[in-house]
Amino acid sequence: MADATQLLTPSLFEAGTQHPLFGVLLTLVAYRLALGLQHRTGWHIAQPVLMGTLLVVAALYAGGLEYDSYQQSSSPLWLLLGPATVALAVPLYVNLKRIRELLWPLLITIGIGGTTNVILVLLLAGRLGAETIVLISLAPKSVTSPIAISLAEELGGTAALAAVFVMLTGVAGALLGPPLLHLARVESHAARGVALGLNAHAVGISQALQDSKEAGAFAALAMSLTGAITALLLPLGGPWLLGHLSGSG
Amino acid sequence: MQGLFWILLYQWLGTLLSHWGLPLPGPIVGMLLLLGHLQLRGGAGESLENTASSLLHHLPLLLIPSAGGIMTQLETLLAHGWAILTALLGSLLIGLPLTGWLLQWLMRRSS
Repeated sequence: MADATQLLTPSLFEAGTQHPLFGVLLTLVAYRLALGLQHRTGWHIAQPVLMGTLLVVAALYAGGLEYDSYQQSSSPLWLLLGPATVALAVPLYVNLKRIRELLWPLLITIGIGGTTNVILVLLLAGRLGAETIVLISLAPKSVTSPIAISLAEELGGTAALAAVFVMLTGVAGALLGPPLLHLARVESHAARGVALGLNAHAVGISQALQDSKEAGAFAALAMSLTGAITALLLPLGGPWLLGHLSGSG
Repeated sequence: MQGLFWILLYQWLGTLLSHWGLPLPGPIVGMLLLLGHLQLRGGAGESLENTASSLLHHLPLLLIPSAGGIMTQLETLLAHGWAILTALLGSLLIGLPLTGWLLQWLMRRSS
């Protein structure tokens, strides 16, 4: 009969962590813990994406596991991001009447907000001496990751960095969004949703959905429009901005 | 089941269109196609509504694996730590309240 120490052999550990759905299981546990923590403490810092990611990364480090194999075995989850993006059409449809009424304010806000974001991020990072490749990967950071990644590659940045900047912005935006909007006295759910979707893409949407479905719909709209406008304009204006901002700094 | 069918169909069509030269990622094109579909049909129907709301309800869960990719970029992040942190936080601290405030102001003015 095997005793307890013999049960946890390296090969058993490997069988457990190399299981094709290990990543899903680990993410589910981390997400559940993150939700529990948020529920119990009510702390903003317990934002589920942030806390869940920290728990997953901590577990991977503790187990000496590679991100690549986790990414593979968690694919059933992130593959659903595509369908989830398509599903945003439903809250958008429900709020379409209000969106139509607010068409011009929305377009003006998204145009100004999106441009401000790109200029600010390039200006600040450029002045502080970040390399061009980092700057280019930072420029599309507020946009949903599939757009940001292809833009960064097209302009000469790197996909991996762009993806990380997008996630960092999303998590920081979802975390800081509610207190910042409170400080700026933004009470309208439509305006809160747009601010979150424009600045923090899908993570912002998940935060906005905690306000209401209306906020979620406006966040989805802002994310899509910001993505579309940035995809069209950044390749035209980006190189010019880079030359001016980093050259003068 | 029917809801999932429409969602996957439009994502697939969206990906085809995006390969074909539309400058937007497939899922975003799929979202616009589904929006058109809902307008034509005049409603989402129970199945589509249920599928959509369960997918969206667990959005953070779906985002965690990609966010974990930060593990692979620690070197560059640390080398440019200050510039990156200042740029990301600075643009959020200004951009986020600005956009919320601007839209609220424009909405109040127009109504």
